[in-house]
Amino acid sequence: MTRYIVRRVLLMIPVAVLVTIINFGLLRLAPGDPVLAYAGEVRDPEILNEMWHQLGLDQPLPVQYLAWLQHTVQGDFGRSIRTHEEVSEAIFGRLPATLELTMTAFLFSISMGLLVGIISALHRNSALDLLATSLTIAGVSIPNFFLGLMLILLFSLVLRIFPPGGYTPAIDNPVDNLRRIVLPALTLSAATLAVNMRQVRSSLLEVFGQDYIRTARAKGMNEQRVVVIHALKNALIPVITIVGLQVGALIEGAVITEQIFSWPGVGKLVVDSIFGRDYPVVQAVVLLSAMSYMLATLLVDIAYGWLDPRISYAGGR
Amino acid sequence: MTFVLENDVIDFDPMLSRAFVDRNAHYQIYDSLVRVDPSGKIIPWLAEKWDLSPDGKKMTFTLRQGVKYQDGTPFDADSVKWNIDRYRNTDGSARKGELAPVASVDVVDPSTVAFTLSTPFSPLLSLLVDRAGMMVSRAVAESAGQDFTRKAFKAGTGPFVLTEAVKDDHMTFEKNPDWWGTDASGGKLPLLDKIIIRPVLDSNVRLTNLKTGDAQFANNIAPKDVAGVKTDSTLSYKEVPGYSFGSLTTNRSPGFIFNEARYVKAVSMAIDRQELLDKAFFGIGVVAYGAVAPGHFSYDPNFKPYEKADPDGAKALVDQVGKGPLSFELLVSSGDPATLQQAQLIQAQLRRASIDAQLVQLEFAEILKQQSDHVFKGMSFIGWSGRIDPDGNTYDFNYTGRPNNDGQYSNPDVDKLLDEQRQSSDTNERTTALRKAEQIYVVDDPSRPWFRFGVAQQCTTTNVQGLAPYPDQIPRFQNAALAK
Repeated sequence: MTRYIVRRVLLMIPVAVLVTIINFGLLRLAPGDPVLAYAGEVRDPEILNEMWHQLGLDQPLPVQYLAWLQHTVQGDFGRSIRTHEEVSEAIFGRLPATLELTMTAFLFSISMGLLVGIISALHRNSALDLLATSLTIAGVSIPNFFLGLMLILLFSLVLRIFPPGGYTPAIDNPVDNLRRIVLPALTLSAATLAVNMRQVRSSLLEVFGQDYIRTARAKGMNEQRVVVIHALKNALIPVITIVGLQVGALIEGAVITEQIFSWPGVGKLVVDSIFGRDYPVVQAVVLLSAMSYMLATLLVDIAYGWLDPRISYAGGR
Repeated sequence: MTFVLENDVIDFDPMLSRAFVDRNAHYQIYDSLVRVDPSGKIIPWLAEKWDLSPDGKKMTFTLRQGVKYQDGTPFDADSVKWNIDRYRNTDGSARKGELAPVASVDVVDPSTVAFTLSTPFSPLLSLLVDRAGMMVSRAVAESAGQDFTRKAFKAGTGPFVLTEAVKDDHMTFEKNPDWWGTDASGGKLPLLDKIIIRPVLDSNVRLTNLKTGDAQFANNIAPKDVAGVKTDSTLSYKEVPGYSFGSLTTNRSPGFIFNEARYVKAVSMAIDRQELLDKAFFGIGVVAYGAVAPGHFSYDPNFKPYEKADPDGAKALVDQVGKGPLSFELLVSSGDPATLQQAQLIQAQLRRASIDAQLVQLEFAEILKQQSDHVFKGMSFIGWSGRIDPDGNTYDFNYTGRPNNDGQYSNPDVDKLLDEQRQSSDTNERTTALRKAEQIYVVDDPSRPWFRFGVAQQCTTTNVQGLAPYPDQIPRFQNAALAK
């Protein structure tokens, strides 16, 4: 197993390099110009040329790429063209807020997905199941930006329970931090929650039809044990696959959710950087998200082995 | 008091700042040499008076005495020279273009400083109202170095001190107890202890923040929401005519459709500006025919060349060119449904004159690139935030080869008139030249169609007192107070 993990981690390096090359090329192919985008209403060619030169954008592309790679390997992502922040500071300064939001949404969508999924599977076609199914369809169908605005309208303006966006760090005021995270986390988790719940339900129903479940029940084992120990563990394999892929979906969703709720996370940074053609920031973000994506799939693969001992990996004796 | 602003401030350093939102922070932190009153008239500020030499090439400022920067260093003539030279000479300074006519700055005595100009340049004072005239503490700027533009703490002489800036989250400004300014009866200012500015991108959410009391001041209310805000008893809404304009940037370069001036005129004739204002902007704003706005001294309220849309006249003009029906590409920045609706209404109006405008939605960065390379095919739907002096709305857009003249418009008579008004310090002479030029670049040989002037809005909760909207849309909080 250890050898397998080491090999997988080593494999990440060429993939990451490939990602940066593709991303570098794509960014430069995208029409637009970071200096022009940053300069806004200032358009004097002399000023723009000075900025081009300062940023090294007048160098040949391979030279620019190698220079970037050399600095990146040493842990220096450079400075943002748009905001002049150190890129690492820009990203890691905003990361806690994004992690807090995505983790809350993630945990919420898994726990609620499991709970409602199990109940729906046990009471198939009941009123409860129907209600859960309809809410699920709504959750998948309503886009984040709309759901977010509607939640603000209902909970902030009409009911006045939660504030309409904004962020307070948990160290400053934990209660206010929680009050402010409810609406964005709910918005962000809506789509994945729905998928998880459906997946738990259908995969449980499939397992319920298996022989070993019938055997367990025939042995007189109590239903709770049958569901939790025997059925659920096997039913979780496809769920884990999907949950792993959802890390990406949550990061994407956070981009929009953060904008609506003025959440000071990485999402808004990414959007502004892409529209502003802020090359250093976009490159760093893409690299880091590719790495976290690869890490998530690795964790999923390891979880398979734990859930179903029949699954083993080459070199993993 | 909390102010919800339409986007995050990028550059606290006035030298680097390019974005309108930045100025909302600058005006709290820094004082400029001169300022404007709510009517747009230039008033003394850090400079108590100024004097222009008869040949128009030397401007001498007498500075307010006893003013200190928030870090304790003194404000004096040396400091003015250092600031203006920094703006003029630093690589990548965004103020270079504005201060280009300044040849040198000389310290006469500690409270007198003289600007020598290479050529008479009447808009100079108006530029010193804003970022090019903002005074920064040398000690703070030099010790912060590259980080100064994000951490301009104790950097100005202004009514508030920036004490905290968290990107994309909030900025805190605390009262400067030593500020020199007083109210009309001599009372100490500012009145507020603290201002927090929070960037909130969505205009619906900005309004919600006011309604729930999470914020007390908002800028940039969407035209569709104004009627609702006016009837809301918990909110107060004020507006004054601004300097900004909406226009269709037109590529007049050789080889492009609109190199033919009659086509530009046909489009201008076919647009029903009143209908556009009423339907697409919910009546918020002022109909525009040219670039000079109602807040400018040279504005001519009787200049209404395209008052009634004339689709038949436009059709006749296109026929006269004799190259068949007119069809062109209209670029619209993607991502904002309101902008798209405005462009669609223009498209429908042009169709009445059998002119076919094909809307092409592109990212803003891409449109900007095409415009700056002069390769956009027809017209482009992009506005201008406006400047205090009418020169800032006309010169760079219509003068041959200037940076904002994306359509490469060129008319020797316009160039001559625009130079004339720059060199004259007489308001009447300037007005005459500006109006003559406008007749040419709007009617006789049109550079582009203009259709709307914006308004400066101020939306607050009703407990906010002492604030008046300024035509440049930037709030000044030194007189503001919150009623209990």
